[in-house]
Amino acid sequence: MRNYLKLVNFEFNRVAKLFAVLLSFTFIVQVIGVIVQSKSYLNMADKKIYEEFMPKAQFLESFGHMSFFQIIRSVWFLGPIAICIAGVGFYIFLIWYRDWLGKNTFIYRLLMLPTTRLNIFYAKITTILIMTFGLVAFQLILLPVEILFMKTMVPEEFRSDMGVGELLTNMPELSIIIPGSFVELILYYGTGLLVVSVIFTAILMERSFRWKGIFAGLVYIAIASVIFILPLLLQEFVLNGYFYPVELLVLEIITGLIILAASIWMSRFLLTKKITV
Amino acid sequence: MKKYWKFIATITIIVLSIGTFYVSSTMSAESHPEFVIKTISGNAEEIKPLVLEGSYTSSMSYVGTNLKVTSDGSTYDSRSFLDKLIGQPPTVIKDFQEKYRTFMRGKDPLVNYFFENEEFLAYATVDYRLDSLRSRDFKFHISVLNKKDGSIDSFTEEVPDSGELEYISVDDVQKVEGELYLITRNMTRNNDNFSEEAHIYTINIANQKISDHEAIVDTTNGQSDTRINVRLVETTPTEANNHLIIVKTELKVIEDMESIREEFINQEIISYNLVTKEKETIDVPELRLDENQLSFFDGSLIYFTRLDGQELVVTPYSIVDNHAGKAYSIKLSGENGHVDGQLTTIKDGKLYIASSQLNADVVVADADKGEILFRGQVTLEDSSKETRQFELYLHEIYVK
Repeated sequence: MRNYLKLVNFEFNRVAKLFAVLLSFTFIVQVIGVIVQSKSYLNMADKKIYEEFMPKAQFLESFGHMSFFQIIRSVWFLGPIAICIAGVGFYIFLIWYRDWLGKNTFIYRLLMLPTTRLNIFYAKITTILIMTFGLVAFQLILLPVEILFMKTMVPEEFRSDMGVGELLTNMPELSIIIPGSFVELILYYGTGLLVVSVIFTAILMERSFRWKGIFAGLVYIAIASVIFILPLLLQEFVLNGYFYPVELLVLEIITGLIILAASIWMSRFLLTKKITV
Repeated sequence: MKKYWKFIATITIIVLSIGTFYVSSTMSAESHPEFVIKTISGNAEEIKPLVLEGSYTSSMSYVGTNLKVTSDGSTYDSRSFLDKLIGQPPTVIKDFQEKYRTFMRGKDPLVNYFFENEEFLAYATVDYRLDSLRSRDFKFHISVLNKKDGSIDSFTEEVPDSGELEYISVDDVQKVEGELYLITRNMTRNNDNFSEEAHIYTINIANQKISDHEAIVDTTNGQSDTRINVRLVETTPTEANNHLIIVKTELKVIEDMESIREEFINQEIISYNLVTKEKETIDVPELRLDENQLSFFDGSLIYFTRLDGQELVVTPYSIVDNHAGKAYSIKLSGENGHVDGQLTTIKDGKLYIASSQLNADVVVADADKGEILFRGQVTLEDSSKETRQFELYLHEIYVK
């Protein structure tokens, strides 16, 4: 356990810079977005009301109130989120390959540590998870701050206020990242964890058998995906909807856990027996 | 410890931020306005069993929330994960699923497909394969549950004479003695001519064979510019009915340069007795069928309704002695004196009327004489609190 925590901390410190960059990028771009969107709304209001002498009530009727919804749906807001997702996705691979591709093959030292080699696997997957949750948590803190920013810029009569919860329920794209309930959070990110573990196993296959390993890895990913959706396929085409939705969910969770266990077992085998430096 | 500060700080922030978000979101569920049925006159007890279903959409959001308005106020459907997963099958189906869990496996949650009486629960559906040229392999899937001993009888039977069938759907399932009746709507294609008919298949449950089938209402039409619609009038799904009421509407298709219009020509109401297989056309000369809408059938009485300005004119018609009862009218009021979107239902001799819009009348009346027992209105409980723009649309009425 101690060794595992040390390794996680170590891995986390290695990604801390990238993590900090993603966080500050998100912060800066989203705040600029709030300012730009609010300004453009205010400028339009100025132009209509003071230059074209449109009554305020009529302006509000034809252009609507300013709400945080407009900001959330802009590239300013969603762009950084996409960049962060891409960043994490990229790092899933980099977290392994940087150990091999560095100036001195760092993996050599990692594998020599007096602890089970599976801890390396656990530490890396934990780091990815912490990074992801870190970004989600940061976004959750950032949202109220940004709403406050908008409130200071746009006068109250032009504004219609929404809470964070209300924003999320009306934004299906965002509720994948921040689901409405804790159960969904666990299920969504649990699935994410499963996917990462399968990819890790494929990476380790490549690191063990090189070219042949790429093929083996792809086959492994394909098999895992088919097994994962197998309950759904059976339900649809063979069993004619035999299971109730709740039962299907339980089956899916069990299938997911089996694949996770298989990935960990396979990775342990590869790390201890087959890995090459 | 100093070595770990970044790590510990990040974990703390994650736990606090995500934890606070989910704790606060469960504490403060979305605040929707409360709707009530306000009593204007009459006995408020009358609306105790009444349920109005609809959806509420605030101007800020694209997604509506389903709600039920009853005499106790309004309840919104929770949008929790499990509820979304299970879906919202009709209340009747939900009851079936709870009571007969095994039998209900793999059954489509459509009320029309089910029949229930004290001893049996029957289910029938049809499936077929769509081809690029035409549909084929029409098959009925039938299941009958014997409630007493819990035995399930399931079988598949090919649809007879399905050569020209294009499309078929099960509109109703009835059971009389040992026979199961499937009332279907069949669309056939003859070259480029489509015609629709109400068809009845009689299935003997004991030997699992289709013993008889016939078209109840044939819609073979000579002219190509007319179109015939066939509609089976729905009844309470959980009650056995020996009579079927079918409405046949003939429409003239008028093709203009810009558009295709349909003009009403003729409407016929046909009553079909399942046991005797007798067909009868209900003719009510004093009722102009293009104006009067057939609203409800409760087994022995058909209720025709017609909106006349701000009044709803109701004519009961007995199919037992083929006699139209005395018509009565009920005065309604709606937003800006505009009355529309009526929802009506009849249960236990009482007529329930509501409207899809807000601030419209809710009326409970004696179905035979039209005597008003209750009059009320769906309104916001506290309109001063609600400053947001919203839309309330009620689309279903039912009586528990």
